This record gives sequence, C-alpha cells and structure tokens, in this order.
Amino acid sequence: MTALTERIALASPRTMLRKGPSKGLDSLFRTASFASAMVVLLVLAGILGSIIYGALPAFREFGFGFLTSSAWNIGTEQYGALVAVAGTVASAVLALAIGVPISLGIAVYLTQLCPGWARKPVGMTIELLAAVPSIIYGMWGLFIFAPLFARFVQIPVSNLVEGLPLVGTLFYARVPSGVGVLTAGIILAIMIVPFVASVARDMLDQIPTVLRESAYGIGCTTWEVVRHVLVPQASVSIIGAIMLGLGRALGETMAVTFVVGNANRLSASIFDPSSTIASRIANEFNEADGLQLSSLMALGCILFVITFIVLIIARFLTRRVKVA
Amino acid sequence: MNAASAMNAAHFEGRGQADDTAPVRIACKDLNFYYGQFHGLKNVNLDFHDRQVTALIGPSGCGKSTLLRTFNRIYSLYPEQRAEGQILLDGSNILDGNVDLNDLRSRIGMVFQKPTPFPMSIYDNVAFGLRLYEKLPKAELDVRVEESLRKAALWDEVKDKLKQSGMGLSGGQQQRLCIARTVAQRPEVILFDEPTSALDPISTGRIEELIEQLRAEFTIVIVTHNMQQAARISQFTAFMYLGELVEFGPTNRIFMNPVKRQTQDYITGRFG
Amino acid sequence: MDATAPLPALRTGAAIGGRVRSGRRVADRVLRTGCLLATLLGALVLGSILLMLIVEGLKGFTPLLFTEPTPGPGSVGGGIANAILGSLVMTLIGIVIATPIGVMAGTFLAEYGRTSKVAGVIRFLNDILLSAPSILIGLFVYTLMVRPMGTYSGWAGAVALAIIATPVIVRTTEDMMRLVPGTLREAGAALGAPASTVIVSVTWRAASAGIVTGIILALARIAGETAPLLFTALNNNSWFNANLMGGVANLPVMIYQFALSPYPNWQQLAWAGALLITMTILALSVVARIVIKPQRAR
Repeated sequence: MTALTERIALASPRTMLRKGPSKGLDSLFRTASFASAMVVLLVLAGILGSIIYGALPAFREFGFGFLTSSAWNIGTEQYGALVAVAGTVASAVLALAIGVPISLGIAVYLTQLCPGWARKPVGMTIELLAAVPSIIYGMWGLFIFAPLFARFVQIPVSNLVEGLPLVGTLFYARVPSGVGVLTAGIILAIMIVPFVASVARDMLDQIPTVLRESAYGIGCTTWEVVRHVLVPQASVSIIGAIMLGLGRALGETMAVTFVVGNANRLSASIFDPSSTIASRIANEFNEADGLQLSSLMALGCILFVITFIVLIIARFLTRRVKVA
Repeated sequence: MNAASAMNAAHFEGRGQADDTAPVRIACKDLNFYYGQFHGLKNVNLDFHDRQVTALIGPSGCGKSTLLRTFNRIYSLYPEQRAEGQILLDGSNILDGNVDLNDLRSRIGMVFQKPTPFPMSIYDNVAFGLRLYEKLPKAELDVRVEESLRKAALWDEVKDKLKQSGMGLSGGQQQRLCIARTVAQRPEVILFDEPTSALDPISTGRIEELIEQLRAEFTIVIVTHNMQQAARISQFTAFMYLGELVEFGPTNRIFMNPVKRQTQDYITGRFG
Repeated sequence: MDATAPLPALRTGAAIGGRVRSGRRVADRVLRTGCLLATLLGALVLGSILLMLIVEGLKGFTPLLFTEPTPGPGSVGGGIANAILGSLVMTLIGIVIATPIGVMAGTFLAEYGRTSKVAGVIRFLNDILLSAPSILIGLFVYTLMVRPMGTYSGWAGAVALAIIATPVIVRTTEDMMRLVPGTLREAGAALGAPASTVIVSVTWRAASAGIVTGIILALARIAGETAPLLFTALNNNSWFNANLMGGVANLPVMIYQFALSPYPNWQQLAWAGALLITMTILALSVVARIVIKPQRAR
C-alpha cells in the first residue's frame, strides 16, 4: 500500500512536468513530405498531359500516317514524323555503337589498370565531361570537330567509297560540310561516355576483390579476368547503364541542333545532314503556330514515349541487380 | 559445482544480492513476437524488479534482443514486426494500441550495441531528450547536462569541450555519452542492448561499474552475450533459447545451480 | 624475350611463358592499350573543349562584358551583363523552388515510404523525370505558363529549371539519408522523439553534406540548361523588368543565338559567355565533390 502511494507521488510530478512534443507538427511534417513527393508525380503527369493535349490536332489531322510520312512542308501544311524519328534513332544508335566501347574501356582502365595515384585525377576528368553543358558540346562539335571531320574523314572516305555498292551510299557525303547524322552520333557518344563509364566503374568496383584475385591466381591475364569474370558479373547493370545513356542521347537537344544539319531529308548516308525530334522542336517551336505547333507537340509526344520505354527497360535491368 | 561457476562465484562479492521482494516494474505475460512470418518469441512470462539489474543471456538468435526491443516498442518502427500478449509497465499494458509511444520511450531509455552519438555537440547530445519534454531555462539545462554527464562518469573528460562534436570522442566515451543522454531524461527503466560488445576491455569495465551505480536509481535490463559480464553485474538472469524463456532466477542461483539442462550446457560452454 | 633467350634459359622461359599462348598475350595487350586509349580520348576531348573556350573566350573578355547589356543586331560592342544577371536570377529562383520540394520528397522516400507501394511508384517516376528530355519540360512549362499568360517570362524559365533540378535533389537526398545508419534513428526514437524531430535534428544533420552536394549538383545542372529556356524565358537584348515578365536575357540562350549569328561581335560575346558559364559549372562540380568527401570518410 505504501509502495502504491509512493508510486503515485512519483508519477504525478512527472505527468505535470512533461509536455510532449506537438503531435500536430509531426503529422504536418509527414503530410508536407508526402505532398512534395506527389509533386513529382503531378509534374510527370502534367508533362505527358500537356504534350498530348497540344498534339491532339495533329494526330486528328494525320492519324497514323503522321508516323510514316516524311513530309514537313509549312506551305502546304503537310507534316510527318518519319525523318525526325529516323534521325533521332540513327544518331542515338550511332552514339551507343561508338560510346559504349569507349565507356567500358575507361571503366576497365580506371578500375583495373590505372596506377593508384592517377585514379582520382583521371576519374575526375571523366566526371567533369558530364558537367560540361550540352550547348558547349554543340559549339565544340560545330566549330572544332566538324571542320576536322570533313577534312580528314568525310572527304577521303567519300572519295574512297564513291560508286561502290552499299558502302557507297552509306558513307558518301554529297556536301562534305562535316555536319550530319554521324557527327551528331559522335558528339552524343562523347556526352554519354561519362554516364555509362561511371556506372560501369561503380559496378566493377562492387565485384568482390576475392573473385578477381582468385581469377588472377589461376593465371588469367587482365583481358581474361575482364572478359570471363568481371563483365559477366556486372553485365546486367551495365546494360541498364547503357539504356540510361540511350535515353539521354535520344532526348539531347542543343548539342545535336548544332551539328545534325537540320535538313528534312531522308538519306541513306550517315554523312548527310538530317534532323532529330529534339532539334526540330528547338529550331521551329518559337515561330510555329496552328498545325505546325501541334505537329511539333506530336513529335514531342513520340519522343516521350520512346524515352519512357527505354528508361523503363533501364530501370528494370538496374533494379534486378540491386535485389540479387 | 564446476570450475566455471566456481570462478564466477568470486564476482558476486560486493554486488547487491537479488531482491525479489522489490516491486515488479515490468511484467511480460504470454508475450509472443513475430518478424513477418517468423515466430521470434514464444509465450514469454517474466518479471523485472525495481532497481535490480536483470541480464538476458542466450546464444545468438535466441530472442534476447527481440525481447528487450519490445519494452520500449522500438520494433514499431518496422511495420512487419508485431508483438502479442501483454507487457505491463507499472501495471498498464504498453502493447495497447492507444499508448503514446513517444512518452513511453521517454520513460524507458535504451542504450544500443554500437555507440549512437548524434551529429551535434556533446552538450546538445545530452540536452536532446531534455529539450523534447521539458522547457527548461538555460541555467537549469546546464545543471541537468552536467548532472547527467557526471552520472555517466564522463564529465571530467568532456567538461572543457562541451561544444565539440560528439562524433570526435572515443568509442567508450561515445557509449558513456549515450548513457548520459538516456539518463538525462530521468527514465524509470534503462535497456542496454549489448552495450560493451563494440568496446575494449577497459571501456567495458567502466561501463560495467557505471551500470552498477545506476542501479541505485533505475531498473535495468541488459542483453549480453558475455556470461561473465552477466555474472558480474546482474542480480537476476534470464536464459533464453530459440525464442523461449528457459530459466529465470537470481543470478548466483542460475550460474551455480541451474535447474535446466540447457542452461547448464550453455553456462559451461557446451554450446552457444 | 623468352623466345630469343639462349638454350639454358629456355627451361625457365618455357615455365613462365609456356602455358600462356601468344594469342592470350595479344588479346591482353590489345585490351590494355584500348582501355588506355579510350581514357586518353576522354581527357583529350575535355582538354580540347577547355582550350577552345579559353582561346576564343578570352579574346572578348573585357570589363564591358559585366556592365553592358547585349547589343542589338548589327550594332557594335556590348556586353552580356543582362544575360549573366538573368541566368543568376532564374537559376536561383529555380533552386529555391526545387530545394524544399526535393528535400521533402527525398525525405518521404527515405523515411516514411521505405516499403510502401506509393513510394516505389514515386521513386520510379522520379528516375524517369531525372532522365526525361529537358526540351519536353520546356514544352510543358510553355503550355502551363507561357500560353495562358500570353508572354514569355523569367518565372516560366525558373519553373522549368526547378522541374529539372527537383529530381536530382530528390534522388541525392534519398540516397544520402539511406546511408545514415538505422541505429541512429532508433536511438532518436528511443529517447521519445517523434519521427519529424528525429529526421530534422538527427538524420538531416547526419546526411547534410550529401544533401548539400545534391543541391550544388542540381545547381550545376540547371545553370547550363538551354533547351527548356528556349520556350519559356527566351531571350532579350535589354535589361529585364523587375517583375520578370516578357523575354528575360540568359546566358545559354544568348550563347545559342549569338554563336549561330552572322555578326562577329555577337559571336565573340557568345564565346565569352560560353567560357564564363562552363568555368562556373565546372567549379560547382568540383566543389560538390569536395563537399561530399568528409561524408564518405566518416
């Protein structure tokens, strides 16, 4: 009995003293963080909704024919997506073909071959490539790279392959100005290299050293360790990184606008100028109205769908690795 | 009596003897615990006495930490974990849905396996819990911080650098800082979850002395995988195995005359 | 070397090289050389870009750059002061909008939504937004703000930049908060602190260096963005109004328009602007990496 009263005496000043932190503030904080997260969802929905809304007149006018038509005639109000889509896909695929081997080479160099003291500065150099604004790549591509490319690649190669079947069309420049789909692909390749390389480097770094050492331990050369041990371990996530790079290359605007040539021509040669979806929107949007504006929105819609699919694949591949 | 328990017997001298007439502070009744599908605690019934140190021992994965983590309901941070049954703190069930968890946790302090200093000054670390529940004037806050650091036997080492980051202290000092932070709130019960397993022997010794001193004011539950430690510092010992309470009693009885075969095997090092 | 060694050495030569067929050695050599060349190529491109900017940009680097507004077509001289100021204002407004939203959303993903379905969806959508073509964001803000308001504006530009910055901040905030050990959160909760107090005074503090890095990286990212500004802030050759309505001069669009223009003084200004903006962004990126260092060391 005395124990009980003692406890009550102990307990009462405690309850009087204690005033817990406000519950309202806590739930307000939670609500605010949830609302902020919903902003991300709303913005993405807004992007998709506004582009579809703007594109509706063009889709209504041209239907499915919009995808297959190569027309882009402001006078007659005839618009089609084929040239821009082809240019976008071609430049992005070229960018991957050129950029991926370089990225993997850099990743392998940084993780396996580079002497310790050089690892930081070299890694930093590659990472800084990712920070350079895309418009600067455009200027570098147009003013530095394109003239060199015309003089030392386009003209000699065109002379070499002229008249030959297949390669004669694929690598022939009618006007060797240095700009064109391949130039855009090369510039895009340089731009995706730091992204793919840094993901690939992280993946290779995560592979347990024991695995590497045991491979070296049975007498493998560096090439064999990379080929048979490292690449298979990291391959899925490296493909994910490549898809991320592809997404970037598809939507890149300013650099491509400078070097793609901005011609609405469907050409079999990768030396010829063309357009991409993003470059066409950048070039024409401010002066466009009516059906042209709507057709540009429709191009944007196509770009959204393509990049969305690529990014979903990338996400799927990278997540599978994390879980495993 | 075997050699191990003979050696342990020496440690009991000078420590307070188990007092099972002390009022019961925490009582578990048919306590069950689940991690998703996994049944982590099975029908545990156990009483913890006021101002006594109770040690929970047993091999890894036996549920001793799980049991400790039910007393302040820290497991509620993880949605897939749940407890069933009753845990009575001074007679009221803390597993009730309407218990204020924050208030409960301010009454039941916890010290973790690894030191967990917050990324702020030593002073702010100790004042953290105080500021939550009590609006104290600066001077009084200073007094409480000093008092807590003294109780944690850390004051003399840090009194000149209270504004420095708590992360800069040594491991043992960090753990005493965490004890000071817990003590500052004037809790009724303090839970220790293997508080010395990340520390060197000297720091361990200081923490053990500290726990003995804190017993004068607080009810203490400590999880340890070190049987000598349990023998040195506790008045009561509970041996757990595979999620069940195997044996509970005064520490000297558990170590010298274990009733159950499993307890004897564990204490004499035949498994675990 | 082994092959040309004299007879007595042949045994050891065979023992060392005998099991490694020459094909394997060649493949190894090719790989090592190829990787080195790829890395050199990357460094060469960066060097060449910087050299180009310095050579062309320094020619036009005069104090007038920072005092005079951009000149009209065909007029001589001029500076880029209005574009610098416009870029600063829009970038800062953009980051001021993006930071609270990004940090709070990242906090939601890291603290409240660890296992929930909603958080999974938002995490996924944030990754999409992070990689979405920036020109589409320009189209969105054009539809959302420019068309209804009937005019280009600095506000529209700032909102477009904020949309680009937000997912960067969300992602880094979440990643950095996840690095904070769970025991620290438990220790906070064990003292009876409500979740929001633990987040603000413990988790945010522990992750602060990483979160700041994320904000700096987002700043570096939007400072050079051109495409989304084309349809939102556009450009202007005069000082802009305090209410930011109408076209607002900014460095990226100025560089784009002037670099491709026929006027030599415009081209010169474009180079100077390009040098300025690139150096600023590279400096921000380096700073971000220095800030993150103690975080990793801990």
